[in-house]
Amino acid sequence: MHQRTVPCQGYFAPQKIEEALEILSGYGKEIKVIAGGTDLLIQYYDRLYEVNGWLDLKNIKELKDIRINKNQMEIGAMVTHTQLENSEDIKKCYPVLSQAAADIGSPQIRNRGTIGGNIVNASPAGDLLAPLMAYDAQFRLLSTKREKIVPVEEFFIGPKKTILEPAQLLTQIILPLPKKKTYGCWIKIGKRKALIIATITLALVVKMAEDNKTVEEVRTCLGSVAPTPIEIKEIRKKMVGKNYDQLDFNQLGQIVEDKISPINDIRGTREYRKDVAKNIMINALKEIASARRSYR
Amino acid sequence: MNKLTIELTINNKKRKVETTASTRLLDLIRDDLHLTGTKEGCGKGECGACTVIMNGELVASCLILAPQADGAVITTIEGVGDDKSLDPVQEAFVETGAVQCGFCTPGMILAAKKLLEENPHPDEEEIKRGISGNLCRCTGYQKIFGAIKLAADRLLKKDGGRGEEDA
Repeated sequence: MHQRTVPCQGYFAPQKIEEALEILSGYGKEIKVIAGGTDLLIQYYDRLYEVNGWLDLKNIKELKDIRINKNQMEIGAMVTHTQLENSEDIKKCYPVLSQAAADIGSPQIRNRGTIGGNIVNASPAGDLLAPLMAYDAQFRLLSTKREKIVPVEEFFIGPKKTILEPAQLLTQIILPLPKKKTYGCWIKIGKRKALIIATITLALVVKMAEDNKTVEEVRTCLGSVAPTPIEIKEIRKKMVGKNYDQLDFNQLGQIVEDKISPINDIRGTREYRKDVAKNIMINALKEIASARRSYR
Repeated sequence: MNKLTIELTINNKKRKVETTASTRLLDLIRDDLHLTGTKEGCGKGECGACTVIMNGELVASCLILAPQADGAVITTIEGVGDDKSLDPVQEAFVETGAVQCGFCTPGMILAAKKLLEENPHPDEEEIKRGISGNLCRCTGYQKIFGAIKLAADRLLKKDGGRGEEDA
C-alpha cells in the first residue's frame, strides 16, 4: 500500500506544559494536539481533518502521572488505558474507571490510547466518560492566559463537541478520593468483547452510610444513549436516604429506561438500547447488593 | 512537505531515517526500512496485522506517526528468531498448524510473545484477551490457542528444568 500523507508544516514534541501552551496559543486551530492517536489517526486517515501541524504531548512527563494530592486523585491527561487498568490506586479507589479502561479496544489500543484523548475526542460512546461522571471528575484546562477547572457535566456539549478552546489544553483529570463504603459497577454492552464501540455503557456508583445499609449518594451514568454522557438524576430521589435492601430494582431499572432517549444507529436500535438499559441497571444494582453483603 | 529525521533502534540496530510528520510508523517500517513482515490489514487498529513491540509494549504501527517513534526501541517479526533457529513461539505455531494464509501471523506471534512474557502460564481466557487485538480469518483461532499453550509449556519446562538443576 502506498504511503498516505497530507500537507504538514510541522511537528512539535515539547518537554514542558508551558512550551506546549505557547505553541498552542501561536497556532491555535492550525495545529492538532495528539496524545495516543488511536482515535485521531483513524479520523485523519479518513481525511476528516486536514492537519497542518502536530503538537505531540509524548515528552511531557508530568502528564503521565497518577498521584494523590491531599484529598484528591490527579490523573495526567497522557495516562494510558493500560496504566488505568493496572494502577493499584485506581483499582482501589475507582474500580469502575479501571474496569472501563480494561474493556477498551485491545492491548494495542490500551497501550497507546489515553484518558485525555478519550475525553477530548468526546465520542458519545467514549468508554471512560460515564465512569468519570459517576466519580464526579473535574478537568483542568490550561492556556497561556488562565487555568480553568470544569466538572464533567459542563465539558461535553454534543457528539464530538466540548467547551475546550483551540488555545486550551486538557492537562489533568481530578477525582475526589472516595469515601468509605462506596461501591461501583461497570457494564459495557457491545457486539463483541474486544475492539468494540459500545452500544450502551453504565457506571453505577453508590455510597452507603456508616450502617452500610442506607444509601447516602448515588450516581447513575450512561454512555452511548445521548449526545454526551448523562446522569439519570431521578435515581437519586428514589435511592438517597433509603435502605438498600428495600429498594425496588425493577422500578429503578424502569426509570433508567424511561429517562433515556437513545437513537437508532448501526450499533443498536432505540428500543434495544432502552430494554438493555433497564436490564443492566437491575444487574448493576444486584451486583452492588452482593458486594455490600461481603463488605468486611 | 517538511522532511524530518528520526532515530530509532529496530531489531537491535540503530537506524536514522528521513521521513515526514504525517508518515505512519507502519509505512516507515515497510517502505523505508524494507521490513515487510509487518503487514497492513485494516489501517484502523482493528486487525493487528501491523502489530510491533515498541518500548516494550504491543502497539498498532498504523496508528503511530513516525516522529512519535523517535528514540523508540522497536521489535518487528524480523527481530524474532532467525533463519537458523526459530523462536519457541514460532516453532509452536509451525508445529500446531496455527499458520494458514500467514497474513496475521507476524502480529499474532508478537502478541503471543508479549503475552507469555507478562503471563508465562495463561489460561484460555487470558490467551483470548492477550490476542484480542489480532484478527485471523483462516484458522478459527483454535490452533493458535493450541500453539500458545504449547509454547507456554515448553518455555516453562525450559525455565523449570534450569531451576531444578540449580537446586
